[in-house]
Amino acid sequence: MSTEAIPAERPKRNYNALFGLTLLALLVLLWIILSVATPSFASANNISNLLRQGSMIAILAVGQTFVIITGGIDLSVGAVVGFATVIVAMLINAGVPIFLAILITLLVGVAIGLFHGFGIVKMGLPPFIITLATLTSLRGIGLLMTNGNSISINNDAFQLFSRSSFLGVPNLFWMVILVGIPAYIFLHHSRWGRYLFSVGSNAEASRLSGVNVQRTIYMAYTLSGLCAAFVGVLLASRIGIGNPTQAEGWELQAIASSVIGGTSLFGAVGSVHGPLLGAFILATINNGANLLNVNAFWQRIITGVLIIVIVYFDGLRRRGK
Amino acid sequence: MTSTAQELHPAPTLEPGRTILELKGLEKRYPGTHALKPINLAFKASEIHAIVGENGAGKSTLIKLLTGVMPRTSGDVIWEGKPAALATPHEAMALGINAVHQEVVLCRHLTVAANMFLGEEASRFGILQQRAMVREAQKIIDDLGFDLPAHVVLGDLTIGQQQLIAAARATVRGTKFLIFDEPTAYLTRKEADQLFTLIRRLKGEGVTIIYISHRMEEVFELADRVSVLRDGTLVGTRNIAETNDAELVKMMINRSIEQVYHKEHFTPGATLLEARNLSGKGFENVSMTVRAGEIVGLYGLIGAGRSEFVTTLYGRHRKSAGQILWEGKEVQVNSEHDAIRIGMALAPESRRDQGLCLNLPVGLNLNLPIYKRISSNLLISSAQEKTEADRQIANLRIKTPTRNALASSLSGGNQQKIVIGKWLAHGAKLFIFDEPTVGVDVGTKAEIYRLFGELLSKGAGIILISSYLPEVYELADTLHVFRRGKLVATHGFHTANHEEILTQALAEKQEKPGGQI
Repeated sequence: MSTEAIPAERPKRNYNALFGLTLLALLVLLWIILSVATPSFASANNISNLLRQGSMIAILAVGQTFVIITGGIDLSVGAVVGFATVIVAMLINAGVPIFLAILITLLVGVAIGLFHGFGIVKMGLPPFIITLATLTSLRGIGLLMTNGNSISINNDAFQLFSRSSFLGVPNLFWMVILVGIPAYIFLHHSRWGRYLFSVGSNAEASRLSGVNVQRTIYMAYTLSGLCAAFVGVLLASRIGIGNPTQAEGWELQAIASSVIGGTSLFGAVGSVHGPLLGAFILATINNGANLLNVNAFWQRIITGVLIIVIVYFDGLRRRGK
Repeated sequence: MTSTAQELHPAPTLEPGRTILELKGLEKRYPGTHALKPINLAFKASEIHAIVGENGAGKSTLIKLLTGVMPRTSGDVIWEGKPAALATPHEAMALGINAVHQEVVLCRHLTVAANMFLGEEASRFGILQQRAMVREAQKIIDDLGFDLPAHVVLGDLTIGQQQLIAAARATVRGTKFLIFDEPTAYLTRKEADQLFTLIRRLKGEGVTIIYISHRMEEVFELADRVSVLRDGTLVGTRNIAETNDAELVKMMINRSIEQVYHKEHFTPGATLLEARNLSGKGFENVSMTVRAGEIVGLYGLIGAGRSEFVTTLYGRHRKSAGQILWEGKEVQVNSEHDAIRIGMALAPESRRDQGLCLNLPVGLNLNLPIYKRISSNLLISSAQEKTEADRQIANLRIKTPTRNALASSLSGGNQQKIVIGKWLAHGAKLFIFDEPTVGVDVGTKAEIYRLFGELLSKGAGIILISSYLPEVYELADTLHVFRRGKLVATHGFHTANHEEILTQALAEKQEKPGGQI
């Protein structure tokens, strides 16, 4: 009798779009406030800087969101970024052509994602555990490979990329668009995207409906690994070194961006534009706090409070209050 | 409240026959739905009052209003002669109104005793008096005549036993008015009998019982009076001695009982599926065929091997021996994917756990098996996605505001229609229905049966699994009886009577199956 009619909810046709607009409004509001409060915020230099800062977390957050929609979590992405900087630096210094070096690095990311899928699907490990294990061991492997030293990349063209702009917009931000558009089409307009949602909602029902659940899980973690390796390449280009301890804690920023962007940690709820906006909201707060000379320690607290506030209001709205 | 047994026992203050609770124009509206139209009804002290009605008739809403889970829109509730607000669950409980739900809402990881005293633990100087509580709880359980230990973890008991504990828990809190919401859905016959004993005993102590059930035989066994709800309206209240099955069903669905089991006979066509000496986990050496245009019924107790047999056909489990033939050719079915590709479809037993993505839209659920067909390469045709979903919603008469409403917002019967409906567009030839009408009301049942007829007329074959004998008996062209993993008997349409089939399913005749008969 729990089966009896719960009042039918009014259709939430444009819920995703609406939430996205609210986030966009929040972002614009932050920008307006900061432009008024500080002289330097609205400068072209600072905006470019802000876009660069937010871009890498934004790409990580997209991959992370795929995983979270299936009801999982990928704690390894920060470590994969650090590891990828080492791989790409070593390859370039060994004289491998840049494009090949990047391709191999991306394949390493794919391999790490496949390993996560294997651990979850075949070994039955919880996503939290297998990706936590990768988080610590990848840092270790990277340190072994480099003897704990940073590797300077001796290729100027490679480094130039992340510092340049195209049409006045930093290249790093173009990379967000390069990842974001296919990701959006994939998640919202392909059957694989639908399967990510259905597996996150009810894996058993999906299986019985002919969805290949194992392949869907492999896919989610592979895409997350791929995004992380790509960010590793971008980071290596930006800082000009390969160092396995880079990107410490980025997995948490990626998860925070995703959650601020409306992704449910219980799975089956999420979008692509949400996490992107979430990442730039976080970047704006950090950037603005720097300009306002707010203690860096406070920035962390503000981020924490923001996560609670946004997710709370999102939850209220979802319950229809 | 303290924890001595005396104080915990019901303390009714009214003599039998007097009105304890009266509803005057009680009404509930949700945005867009008039869930309960103004109702006038008086409950007497010490009566067992059954409430029956289809899913969506307003029974759950009524319970939620009475237990303070939701506020009413208008109307009055008179409790012992005084108006009661019933604004919070706490207030309802303080008055002595309590409910036992179909699904056990207790903490599975705590002990039976801890659950009994949850929220009212006995403690001294902040330290829990665990042993005293176990002793107390055991005394109450023994007193009620349940043969259950109080010190074990609740989750170690069967669902039925947990249900008994939930009932026991509700009775020890000064309860004067106790609502049972389909309590026997998961109980064995023996457990149900224990529960009925408890209910009669409470009545003897002056407690008013509201008993909600889909099972007519229970209503006639227990109740003094029965009220029928339909579409949020109280159709009528009858003394149980002055009514019968047929009248109640007619009041509930506005249509006669003969129209429920809708059976069309078709001439069977070619053999679709054949199992030859198939063995696997939970069943052995089973052979049968399914032809186009026929319903093959599988009857047996829970655990007799029926579900294991069909999930093996469907590729969920590996067969250990034997062959599966599809349209005369041997096939290997190693996964659900293979089965679906061949042309099989399975509507599983538990729609919540296996059938639906509850927090996703109705449309997505309906289209899930056919996304491959409605997408070119990777991209989904959104026009086709919409038309397919809307077509199934119209075709199956699924009551939903739009295809974008979440599946969880629909009633049980409508959810079940999704579970079945998603296969219609897929074009499967063999449909396997595992307990398709559990927890579904008579009206939806009739619609599901009519759907069977439609499928058959299009040349599909059906395997129907049910623990409810009348269902397979009235619908199956061929009826196979399972017992302990073996196929023990096969009958044609109405070639055996209920007693024979039941005997074959039970063999030792010790216990009736799952309270379903």
